[in-house]
Amino acid sequence: MAALTDIDAAPRDRASRARALHWALAAALVLVSLASLQVGATDVTLSNLAAKLARGEALTQMDRVVLWDIRLPRLAMGGLVGAALAVSGAAMQGLFRNPLADPGIVGVGAGAGLGAILAIVLGGLLPSWVNALAGNQLTPFAAFLGGWGATLLLYRVATRHGHTSVATMLLAGIALGALAGAVSGILVYIADDTQLRDLTFWGLGSLAGASWAKVLTAGPMILLAIAAALTLGRGLNGLALGEATAAHIGVSVQRLKSIAILAVAAATGAAVAVSGGIGFVGIVVPHLLRLASGPDHRTLLLNSALLGAILLILADVIARVVIAPAELPIGIVTAVLGAPVFLWILLTRRGLADL
Amino acid sequence: MSFVAENIRVSYGAREALRDVSLTADPGMVTAIVGPNGSGKSTLLGAMTASLPHTGEVRLNGRDIAAMKPWELAAERAVLPQAARLAFPFTVIEVVRLGLQAGTAGDRPEVPMQALSRVGLAHYANRTFQELSGGEAQRVMLARVLAQVWSPVAHGRPRWLLLDEPVSSLDIAHQLQVMEIARSFARAGGGVIAVMHDLNLTALFADRVAVLSEGQRLAFGTPAEVLTDATLSRAYGCTLRVCSPPPLGVPYILPHAASA
Amino acid sequence: MMCSKSTGAAIVALCTSMVGAFVALAVSAQQAETPANPHAEILSIGSAVTEIVAALGQEHRLKARDTTSTHPPSVQDLPDVGYMRALSPEGVLSVGPSLIIAGEGAGPPEALDVIRAADVAFVEVPDALTTDGILHKIDIVGDALGVPEQADALAAKVNAEMQAAMEDARRPDADKKRVLFVLSTQGGRINASGTGTAADAIIRMAGGVNAISDFEGYKQVTDEAIGTAAPDVILMMDRTGDHAADDDALFAMPAIRLTPAAQDRAVVRMDGLLLLGFGPRTATGIRQLNAALYGTDS
Repeated sequence: MAALTDIDAAPRDRASRARALHWALAAALVLVSLASLQVGATDVTLSNLAAKLARGEALTQMDRVVLWDIRLPRLAMGGLVGAALAVSGAAMQGLFRNPLADPGIVGVGAGAGLGAILAIVLGGLLPSWVNALAGNQLTPFAAFLGGWGATLLLYRVATRHGHTSVATMLLAGIALGALAGAVSGILVYIADDTQLRDLTFWGLGSLAGASWAKVLTAGPMILLAIAAALTLGRGLNGLALGEATAAHIGVSVQRLKSIAILAVAAATGAAVAVSGGIGFVGIVVPHLLRLASGPDHRTLLLNSALLGAILLILADVIARVVIAPAELPIGIVTAVLGAPVFLWILLTRRGLADL
Repeated sequence: MSFVAENIRVSYGAREALRDVSLTADPGMVTAIVGPNGSGKSTLLGAMTASLPHTGEVRLNGRDIAAMKPWELAAERAVLPQAARLAFPFTVIEVVRLGLQAGTAGDRPEVPMQALSRVGLAHYANRTFQELSGGEAQRVMLARVLAQVWSPVAHGRPRWLLLDEPVSSLDIAHQLQVMEIARSFARAGGGVIAVMHDLNLTALFADRVAVLSEGQRLAFGTPAEVLTDATLSRAYGCTLRVCSPPPLGVPYILPHAASA
Repeated sequence: MMCSKSTGAAIVALCTSMVGAFVALAVSAQQAETPANPHAEILSIGSAVTEIVAALGQEHRLKARDTTSTHPPSVQDLPDVGYMRALSPEGVLSVGPSLIIAGEGAGPPEALDVIRAADVAFVEVPDALTTDGILHKIDIVGDALGVPEQADALAAKVNAEMQAAMEDARRPDADKKRVLFVLSTQGGRINASGTGTAADAIIRMAGGVNAISDFEGYKQVTDEAIGTAAPDVILMMDRTGDHAADDDALFAMPAIRLTPAAQDRAVVRMDGLLLLGFGPRTATGIRQLNAALYGTDS
């Protein structure tokens, strides 16, 4: 056997590249975060503030509001939402063994959309104390409950005797999506003009409503869900070989599925609730990273979180300066910038993009 | 310290795929499971790897597998599936490493390359798995399985290779290579259970053979005891003649002598 | 794998395209800013509010406006802070207003919270589809601007105009034309006005009858319901484009073809703000609509 001596081809190590990427992306995240604090429609900038402080001047009310009440919560929310969407995308793709899967597959989007529409159109019918309690947060809260509820329902439908069938979940998700779409349609019909406008803008997604209240409500949930998802790397790698083989190499497959689905529902549900519909991050980010440093989920998940946060923060900066003092819905920016790059990858590297 | 299946029953809906089948495989030996299509060979292996719901008991090195965690099972036995499926563009060496992640030989980073060399594919380490031919893919999967239970004996206990038709898409040279790997694993103290299609390779490499037919065990013993005209003709439903020319002393099956 | 270079390039391209777009547009956004007027302090949100500010002779104090504020035409030179229901807090603050006067429905609420926190005075002007509603708006805007005398004068003038316009438009019920307000005919589906809308109110003020009274708000209407509504006139908002061709397409629609309006090719197109704005020019809108419906300037 000549092959026995043929070990000179040292395995090229994509793993170390992926780990190097952790640091590069972390550094990039710091940079875009600073940029996001620096730039905006007003002329408040970090450098100005630093100069003021150096001269011993007090910050104006305007400085404080712009930095503390507007840009910082937006930055935090953009980072959280981007990381949540990208990690959820990577986890779903691993779970469904399909690079085109996105969190929508487990019903989060349909459920959250329905929840939001219910709140916007029928929120006025609730007893006044509910509205008083919920305040501005009724729509995000309903969206989160809708997304989470839809996922739990699908999970239940697809689970028999402690075994979850991802194929059943996929089919049930399509049915649930159609049903949610129909109910949404009815609600859209009875909605009045201003409610329709609200629905449209909710659907386009925006971080303009960012506030510390939202960051502090959604943030811990998103961080917890991302942390849970980051532990799934080995299991998702095994799952690439199929469920049976994953179990044979020691993966607790059912536990993996439960954690993945619940984590994705929590992360995406919270993200969609606070920011509306933001497309493309969940598919483009993991795909780019797989092309750059391989499909190993142990590094892919963390890199997805970082790149997702970077891209969304950048997209938000663009959204708010392009037509300042007005601003674009961020969903438009991610789609306009993400789609052409994605198409370009598909055209130039189709062979690999198929995998 | 054996791999024991006792009174295994498996049903697919109303159809009983296995009826009270028992099998004891000992370490140091290659145990082959043969039989016609649909006789329950792969089903028996499925029950022994805990991938199919079944009644009866399966004991691995003295422990009931129903009570073992996936990672405990993974440390003592590796399973080569019939079809080599893989999502996402992993490279060959990354695929072989997947076998290690279950925490078996994880502290020995040289093992995956050695396993690839063992199946003669070390020079393919950096290729994408999806670029490989069917036979190459099957050998890479064998390397992955070997890496998972690299030492045939660990902590005084034999480890096991469970192979489902390991040579089905290989040319004759690689069929011999793979069976040789299985035999040397057994000779080093490990145990091998293989579902086999090719009766000649079975005769050549198996130490024990179980013949299944219609969900039942028809015979179990050494190739010389089991691979007889009567048993095989009954199992496969056609008249077969087993020939054993003096120089080799091993039985071989001649399809030319078949008559329906 | 030979893909590493080009995929690295893909990531770089994605980031570069974003940064590039951002830099280019940030620069252009800065250039677009109009030179500051030393007296300007007010951000006006909502078309009626902006028209009232101008009618009070205070247009020179406007610093910025929202997208819906396009009249008088001179305000279109002011910076635009976006759609009134989707305001960006920093965008609003960046124009540096000391006072924001906003029509009902400005938002989102989170943005308003932040804006209030920045010590910017914020006055909300409620909406109402009546003469009193318009007078109330004028009153509030006048107070906010500190010009109550001008506001009283404007209110008196508007009130007189409104009463006169409605009086002139009055006619016996039997003579009233049935008017169908069509918001859009996108994709062959007709989105028309029911009751409780600005369109419904102005149709009645101008001496017409809303052909649809079965539902509230703007909704998509089935072809048969339009046949039953039997409008004598179709009322639409004026848009740029070829009206003759638009009319042909409109009257060729199955839903419209059988109505009395189609037989007379009776369609009225009017400036949306004049028609539906319920600001100081509403009396003019009533007279225009009345003239268009009945052919004489009564």
